[in-house]
Amino acid sequence: MKTRVVVAMSGGVDSSVAAAMLAEQGYEVIGIAMRLAAEEGGAARRNACCGYEDFEDARRVAQRMGFPFYVIDLRAEFDRRVIEPFVGAYLQGRTPNPCLLCNRDIKFDRLWSRARALGADFVATGHYARIESDSDGSFRLLRGLDSSKDQSYFLFTLSQEQLARTLFPIGAMTKAAVRRRAADLGLINAHKPESQEICFVPDNDYARLVGERAQPGRIRPGDITDRAGRVLARHDGIHRFTVGQRRGLGVAASEPLYVQEIRPADGRVIAAPHAALTSAGLRAAGVSLVDPRSWESDRHPIEVRIRYRHPPLPASLALMDGARAEVRFDKPGPAVTPGQACVFYRGDQVLGGGIIEAALEVRA
Amino acid sequence: MAIYLDHNAGSPMRPQVRAALAALNFSGNPASVHHSGQAARSVLEQARARVADLIGARPTSIVFTSGGTEANHLALLGVLEADPARRAIVTTAIEHSSILHPLEHLARTGVQVRIVPPDSQGRVDPAELIAHVDHQTALVSVGLANAEVGTIQDLSGLADAAHRAGALLHLDGVAAAGKMALAVDELECDLLSLSAHKLGGPAGSGALFVRDRARIRPWLWAGAQEHGMRAGTPNLLGAAGFGIAASIVRDEWSAEMARLAPLAAEFASHLMVEIPGLRANHPAAGGLYNTLNFTFPAVRGETLLIALDLAGVEVSMGSACAAGAVEPSHVLLAMGRGEGAARSSLRISLGYTTTAQDLAAAATIIPRVWRQVAQAEGVQAMAS
Repeated sequence: MKTRVVVAMSGGVDSSVAAAMLAEQGYEVIGIAMRLAAEEGGAARRNACCGYEDFEDARRVAQRMGFPFYVIDLRAEFDRRVIEPFVGAYLQGRTPNPCLLCNRDIKFDRLWSRARALGADFVATGHYARIESDSDGSFRLLRGLDSSKDQSYFLFTLSQEQLARTLFPIGAMTKAAVRRRAADLGLINAHKPESQEICFVPDNDYARLVGERAQPGRIRPGDITDRAGRVLARHDGIHRFTVGQRRGLGVAASEPLYVQEIRPADGRVIAAPHAALTSAGLRAAGVSLVDPRSWESDRHPIEVRIRYRHPPLPASLALMDGARAEVRFDKPGPAVTPGQACVFYRGDQVLGGGIIEAALEVRA
Repeated sequence: MAIYLDHNAGSPMRPQVRAALAALNFSGNPASVHHSGQAARSVLEQARARVADLIGARPTSIVFTSGGTEANHLALLGVLEADPARRAIVTTAIEHSSILHPLEHLARTGVQVRIVPPDSQGRVDPAELIAHVDHQTALVSVGLANAEVGTIQDLSGLADAAHRAGALLHLDGVAAAGKMALAVDELECDLLSLSAHKLGGPAGSGALFVRDRARIRPWLWAGAQEHGMRAGTPNLLGAAGFGIAASIVRDEWSAEMARLAPLAAEFASHLMVEIPGLRANHPAAGGLYNTLNFTFPAVRGETLLIALDLAGVEVSMGSACAAGAVEPSHVLLAMGRGEGAARSSLRISLGYTTTAQDLAAAATIIPRVWRQVAQAEGVQAMAS
């Protein structure tokens, strides 16, 4: 009997090629698109993934390759596990990473449970990341070969058990090769532009979404101050700010000011010159390790990425109880943004990661 | 070959309809004066006579439409338009969305919409409907049979009461047609909606029976086609196919019922034995013989539907959407099922292509696939 694999299809070229390649390789492919967000936003959402037209693109790929395709409704789960925490994080003065939550709680959890119910052995996605298995039966998560497309940052939560049942068919390809492959296969979306926005945020206006979804009274105006507490300006709500942000502060100052800290308790946004934003490292919570067996509580040399597009920084990692960790940069690094993921690498290998809680201050 | 058990969504086009449509040869507009136009006209009128014959009506009372949805719209909007003094409509909570959605819209424009709930078997008490009829009432609109659970409504006294109050009675006969006796004079209805593809005709074709054209106004405005009731060049192929399908079901429906009713009952009781905790949503007795609806324990209906499709059995959720936005059936909710139960329910509807072998195979496949899905989804399905 053929191995049955559910492929998460968005209608984009990456997941389409992933599905088509598995079908070619002889897997019994079931294409599944996930309905995640409600329809509000209409035409505004046309360019984001997971719209109706994108589903039809995925359906056409499935028809061309001769495998079944379905759309499943995960709106309720997505709302509870991604959108609600997303809104909640902004109200806490943090900058959330919804793609991470979607991978962890939707694609590799909810979708997997549906896939298993459909008799599937694997879930595959069009992520640019690689999985390798070692001779001892353990699995390693590696960066995608196309470093400009690498998405391993969003996948650090994957456990051994999850890696064992996950396939990333295009992880060892470049984007250009994926597009060529799509064209060779005659897939209609070979030249489709990439989606950049967060799929459930119309027009990328996340502040509006937070405003609409927040409990009444949760959004309060407050002060923008300097470190000494001097009021520089007023603001409409801390959810409009992210640590490291420069634009939109509405402050006239002799040198450019950046958001250094957001204090949800008193609604203060603290602005400072760029030099003040450096940090010595970070504290993380919700830490998970791809292969927890080989770790001790000592300090481990790693490279850490503190944002998706940031280059990895040499650092040392100390694991602590309660899924916490402290990461100390080898030399003072840039501003760290609470709510974003910090992902631990060694070369191409993803070791694990966590959610940034706070910066470690540089000692004078 | 998949086992098709979704006839209430649409019956496969009958071979005789296919053959008749392939043999059709006309080249004119049925409204044209010349010979070609007259030839086309005769195709249309023959179809009209056949559809009329299915429901014991005169051909001139049949208005062809683009389907059941348009027929329902014409009934609602046409009656309100004809008598602007009457601004109330009485209906039930389990009507098709082509009744309930326009009524939602009409309610926003000031029309009084009075909605009567059903009991747990989908039956609406005619006395309760009658209690809502008064001299404000323009129309009483009731689905003769429900497409999702198959309940056939008791209409005792309803036509009389409506007529005494000066209101009209509209029946949505889309689910009922071809599965039970359907005579407009016995039903005493003023309007009756029909759809071709539920009978094995082509999709995109339907009709509204209109007893008295003076009581209804068109809502498509252009030419005087369809006796002025529905402007636009009619869908000739659709109407012709509808006519053939109507003739076939008129002749064959009672033999079909005699053939399928015992098979359906046997199939249902087999499932009840094989799937512990299975709950029937179709009425214990007196429903459409072809319509079964079950709440499956410990699974999402959506997952089970897909798993069954992969296993070659085609059924449906009450209401679904290709883009994956699955809403729990408003019919089951109105019948008092919880949202979780409604989301775990599937409809299995039989028809002229269904064989005893189909049902025997489905009776083996469905419990097996249910076990596979339930094992993986378990109670978690209910929790999230």
